[in-house]
Amino acid sequence: MIQVGGHGQENPNVHWLGSRGMWFTYLVVMFALHLFLLSIPFLTIPLAWTFTNVIHNTCHFIFLHMLKGAPWEIQDQGAARVLTHWEQIDYGIQYTRTRKFLTIVPIVLFFLASFYTRHDAGHFVPNFVTLMFVLIPKLPQFHRVRLFGINKY
Amino acid sequence: MESYDNGGIWGPITGRPGKTVEIDGEKYLNVATHNYLGLLDSQELDDAAEQCIRRYGVGSCGPRGFYGTVDVHIELEEKIARFLNLEETALYSYGFAAVASAIPSYAKAGDIIFADEQVSYPIQRGLAASRSSIIYFKHNSWENLQEELEKQRETDKKNAKKAKTIRRFCVVEGIYTKSGTMCPLKEVTDLCKQYKVRLFVDESISFGVLGRTGRGLTEHLDVDRKDIDFISGSLEHSCASFGGFIVGPSYVVDHQRISGLGYCFSASLPPLLAGSGIKALEIIEQSPEIIQDVQDKCVYMHQTFMNKLTFFRVTSHELSPLKFLSLVGSKVLAYDVIKDLIEQVIIHVKEHHKIALVQPYYLESEHELPLPSIRVSINRLLTYKEIDSIAAAIEDVSNSINLYDSVISNIPTQFEETKADMIKSYEAYLKWKQQNNGITGKEALEQDEVFEPLEIAEDSAPKKIADLHSRN
Repeated sequence: MIQVGGHGQENPNVHWLGSRGMWFTYLVVMFALHLFLLSIPFLTIPLAWTFTNVIHNTCHFIFLHMLKGAPWEIQDQGAARVLTHWEQIDYGIQYTRTRKFLTIVPIVLFFLASFYTRHDAGHFVPNFVTLMFVLIPKLPQFHRVRLFGINKY
Repeated sequence: MESYDNGGIWGPITGRPGKTVEIDGEKYLNVATHNYLGLLDSQELDDAAEQCIRRYGVGSCGPRGFYGTVDVHIELEEKIARFLNLEETALYSYGFAAVASAIPSYAKAGDIIFADEQVSYPIQRGLAASRSSIIYFKHNSWENLQEELEKQRETDKKNAKKAKTIRRFCVVEGIYTKSGTMCPLKEVTDLCKQYKVRLFVDESISFGVLGRTGRGLTEHLDVDRKDIDFISGSLEHSCASFGGFIVGPSYVVDHQRISGLGYCFSASLPPLLAGSGIKALEIIEQSPEIIQDVQDKCVYMHQTFMNKLTFFRVTSHELSPLKFLSLVGSKVLAYDVIKDLIEQVIIHVKEHHKIALVQPYYLESEHELPLPSIRVSINRLLTYKEIDSIAAAIEDVSNSINLYDSVISNIPTQFEETKADMIKSYEAYLKWKQQNNGITGKEALEQDEVFEPLEIAEDSAPKKIADLHSRN
């Protein structure tokens, strides 16, 4: 009989990304993904970096900005059912440490990918487009905004 | 009349309530508290409770999930489920908490609940806690429920994507605690099946009273219990114990064990009360004739009140164990006036006839404040003579305190026509009574129609306490 929450935090989605060791784990997993891609023989270094960037941004977008609600039976009476994970973090308070971390990591990754791909146009386009997909929903102006009714209900 | 420090008319209860209750040293015939089958006086229940105390102590010391579950809880849950031929039961330690926790555990923000406008206070608290949109439909009007369901269906057609994410529920009671009326459960069940709405029925009053064997309104109206998503009940009314329960299919009730807040975060029912609940259910199962007995007395009380009382009307159902007596002219009198007049009647019945009557009290947050009335609660152990004596006491007191004059003099000026009609019909009634001294109660019923308080428009009756002051 699993019941989550307690100590006034009924939704674990609010704080688990800011919990102890989470950022380090996040960077380690990203690095592991990059190492795996580097170890594939026919992938050149620019390709590996682009793939890392694109795969990271795709997963980031799906888990933080597309999926709604939380994977537990939480006692918030359905308040988080229409919110994406990003909107749930820290109960919707903007400019918290977790939010800043999650904004900066894709930007740094983009700079690294641009450097290692020697600013080649063919690599720049997917990198930049996925970066925009990941950065724009994080703007405070986009809190609880749904464009064209996508993902509204 | 003397009143006590808290402003009430009754003193402290000094003896255990049963068929008679001792208040402030005096014994009164108890038709105020809920004890429909008279089991509060039963020695068998006392023995069962004593056995449990000797075995388990007095408390269960924990919620159900944390060392608070005792084998009598499991036994009582299984017994209730088997009694109603349903799959599983969740037992709560308080009848109010059962339905107030069950509704918000299924209905969340964004869902829609269709509720009868006269649902009881625990259900109202559950509806508020659920954070869903509540659509109240007119009391007992399944036609109005259908209109509301149709309206919702139209709204859903316009926004199909949203409609897929909202869940719809309907909450009704078997016999309504606020008015003693019976729900048209068959029509409501059919509507809920047709419009794919989950149905919750609260059978706190009707459990153990209605039906051939006491299985509730579903047995009385021959409704299949599988069509209802859960039935909530209470052991505090007919079973003379304590606690509440939610009974239904396993997949519905099992959810309560994690997300029913009154189940998870409250201490469980004391084993001694679970033991007496088990015994009460055994008595109901083994001697179904007591159900027939209590139903006969309900009908008899209803008819006696209809025949013998001149200034009160019975507004509840014939088979309801709670009889609501409204004062004649209630629809034109001010709320406070009715309350005071009824209190006068109750005080005089208390003093001169030693019968404990009560008028139900409501909080400010009550949704549809009903007009004040006397609530008489049936007890199977009452003899027919005692039922007659209750009616005779109320009639006697109404005459001795000149209730008629008080009613007539308090009618506000804008209801002159009603007042004139009432005076005319009362005088006609008195004249008829004089001429027909030998007529028995039953025949008097037909003549009663000369003294019917006239119905006035529904919207002039106050709905909330805040409206009362604007009425005067």
